[in-house]
Amino acid sequence: MKNMWRDYDPAGFFDELMYSKHQPRSFSYKLLDYFQGMQNEAFQQRVNESELEMLERGITFTVYSDAGNIDRAWPFDVIPRAIPKQEWLRTEKGLKQRIRALNQFIQDIYNEGNIIKQGIMPAEVVYQSKGYRPQCQGMTPPHGIWANICGSDLVRDQDGTLYVLEDNLRVPSGVSYMLENRKTTKRVFPELFRLLNISPVDAYPERLAEMLTSLRPDLSNPTIVLLTPGVYNSAYYEHAFLAQQAGLILLEGADLQVGADDYVYMKTIHGLERVDVIYRRIDDDFIDPEVFRPDSMLGVPGIMRSWRAGKVAIANAPGCGVADDKVIYAYVPDMIRYYLDEEPILKNVPTWLCRKEEELEHVLAHLPDLVVKPANESGGYGMLVGPHASEEKVEEFRLLLRDNPENYIAQPTLALSVSPTSCGDTIAPRHVDLRPFILSGEAIYVTPGGLTRVALVEGSLVVNSSQGGGSKDTWIVDERPVEEED
Amino acid sequence: MLSRVGERVFWLARYLERVENTARLVNVHTSLLMDLPEHNEINWFTLATIFDAKDAYFERYERVNEYDIMYFLLADPSYSGSLSNSILALRENARTSIDVLPEILWEQINELHLLVKGELSSVGNRRRRQKLLLTITEKCQCVWGIIANHMSRNFAYDFLQSGKFLERVDMTSRILEMTSMLVAETRNEEMRQHEGILWATLLRSLSAQQMYIQVNDSSLKADKVLMFLITDNRFPRSLSFAMNALGNYLNYLPRAESVLQKQQSILRRVQQYDVRQTPAETIQNMMDELQVSLTELNAHITSNWFYPDFSVT
Repeated sequence: MKNMWRDYDPAGFFDELMYSKHQPRSFSYKLLDYFQGMQNEAFQQRVNESELEMLERGITFTVYSDAGNIDRAWPFDVIPRAIPKQEWLRTEKGLKQRIRALNQFIQDIYNEGNIIKQGIMPAEVVYQSKGYRPQCQGMTPPHGIWANICGSDLVRDQDGTLYVLEDNLRVPSGVSYMLENRKTTKRVFPELFRLLNISPVDAYPERLAEMLTSLRPDLSNPTIVLLTPGVYNSAYYEHAFLAQQAGLILLEGADLQVGADDYVYMKTIHGLERVDVIYRRIDDDFIDPEVFRPDSMLGVPGIMRSWRAGKVAIANAPGCGVADDKVIYAYVPDMIRYYLDEEPILKNVPTWLCRKEEELEHVLAHLPDLVVKPANESGGYGMLVGPHASEEKVEEFRLLLRDNPENYIAQPTLALSVSPTSCGDTIAPRHVDLRPFILSGEAIYVTPGGLTRVALVEGSLVVNSSQGGGSKDTWIVDERPVEEED
Repeated sequence: MLSRVGERVFWLARYLERVENTARLVNVHTSLLMDLPEHNEINWFTLATIFDAKDAYFERYERVNEYDIMYFLLADPSYSGSLSNSILALRENARTSIDVLPEILWEQINELHLLVKGELSSVGNRRRRQKLLLTITEKCQCVWGIIANHMSRNFAYDFLQSGKFLERVDMTSRILEMTSMLVAETRNEEMRQHEGILWATLLRSLSAQQMYIQVNDSSLKADKVLMFLITDNRFPRSLSFAMNALGNYLNYLPRAESVLQKQQSILRRVQQYDVRQTPAETIQNMMDELQVSLTELNAHITSNWFYPDFSVT
């Protein structure tokens, strides 16, 4: 039988593991040697093992469709994506720099508003953003940090340059899959870990608990809970997993109430008990029906009152989604220069703001070549990928842009990098991105690597799990030789 | 501990115990029927009677036969008491209380769910069914083993044990009720020949045969068997033992007084049951009454810990 790798060809895309068709990169040489040396049947058997493993451990996500909600096994590709440690250290530095600036920005706009007064950003961009919450004006959360948990999406272009595609600051998900992917690789390919120096990822739950504890410096042993929208949320598995691993109390809005003293209480078998820190996995819109959407059944009436009175810490802080806005994204490099007086280490994807007359004209003139995104959506919804879209779709967006230019940005269509991926009976290049997770409390912690998402459909650039994406274990590889064991 | 989580783990244990008992009962009953002549009073429908499911059965099926009874009790998605629905409920309760349970417990329960899902179509095949039921029993025992050896003795543990023993008393009483009716004096000659097999089956369906033989002798006498299953203080599936153990675990929980009162009154009644020379009908009434009290006790537990009045701050 022919080797599954024989016809592998990244065809002009930047390949995460290969210099060219047959030439591995220096840090991926041993990894590829291992996989390419495997018999097809042996490889297929490991693939089956990994699928069974995910299924038995109940690692699922929910897909919503007209036919009803289905719990699907998490799609996992067994071939890891590797990044050399030297490159990663620089990326990590860039991510820390970025989150510092973003947090200073949020603190600034809900307080002095200096960045606007100084003319660096136009007021309407900030105050008209959907994520801006006037109810948060005047607040300073613990340590002045608003975005305690951030999941930035990084992508690589054709020439290998790494860009930040977006900063997910509201309720980023995926970290449990990063941890589960590693666990699965360790169970299915234990031999690999003897060949290479791979940074462990399992510190995350502990770091999360530390960060959340640091949000109540006044208490020695705060009660910390994870607020989930419930079992029907597509990320419920992750909520339960993180609560279990980090020792948080998993609960839903109905388990909480705000007392006359403005403290938040949970309903326990002892009666009501005070809650000090809430890691919420519910959007601002739903968190407090007294303040935001009155029809929300998921949140806790009065919780904003309690937060404003400093009687409970909420991570991420309400209102932090303002920095998640794609128009505001375009200003992040300016923020870094303004707040930190540093040059950005990581690049933004070049972005045209349709609110500016001349940039809108450029966008309209090149629409079929561009990616157009609404300012305030996530999960890959509501966007146009010009080169892959039908003519009607392009015309539809032309109208949307003319009607409501403030709400859109456009970016060049990046030729996302690829990585070898198991596709049925062959190995083929598939586009990938990377979502590292950044924790900010008293200190900043970045996961070594993160979650690599992969577009499993040939040619597709959409990596979201809700739209046919899969994931890979991500290795930060130290190229120094592995010390031999006795 | 959250009230909601208390409720979930309590029911997790009830379903786990129910799944194990149901699997064992159906398994043992099948082997009993192989030993009995055809056309006797014990048949496949006896099983539906034990689960109080006469009406539910005839709403769905016209005739009584092995296949329909087995499908109904084990696989019917429309009958809430079917084994497959109990396993779904078990899994859902585990999934929503994962943060207080050992990680491997969830994996085992999920594997049980996958196993049963894949094998349900084979319930009509006796050999495969018997094998499946044995595997289910083993998986349940594995889960109890994880709970015993990997869990701290915390409130979650106490609720698990409470749920288990409450369910066990309920199931034991149902099986006793049915069996006593079948061997009542009024039954015909032919059935009396098989009495020995019946008592052995009763003991085996409660996993009690060996423990019975160790304290009695191997002769299976109605009075002795019934007294063993009702009052023995050392066998963990007897009514008396399970009812007493339930009290021990409830006692660890906060504000347990009113619930304990109820539990104690049931325990006293169980300890006073004397079924020697008692007509089968009386035993049936006793067990009926016991099941009603258990439902009341469950309601007490629910209102005391799971849905108390939280309106006062």
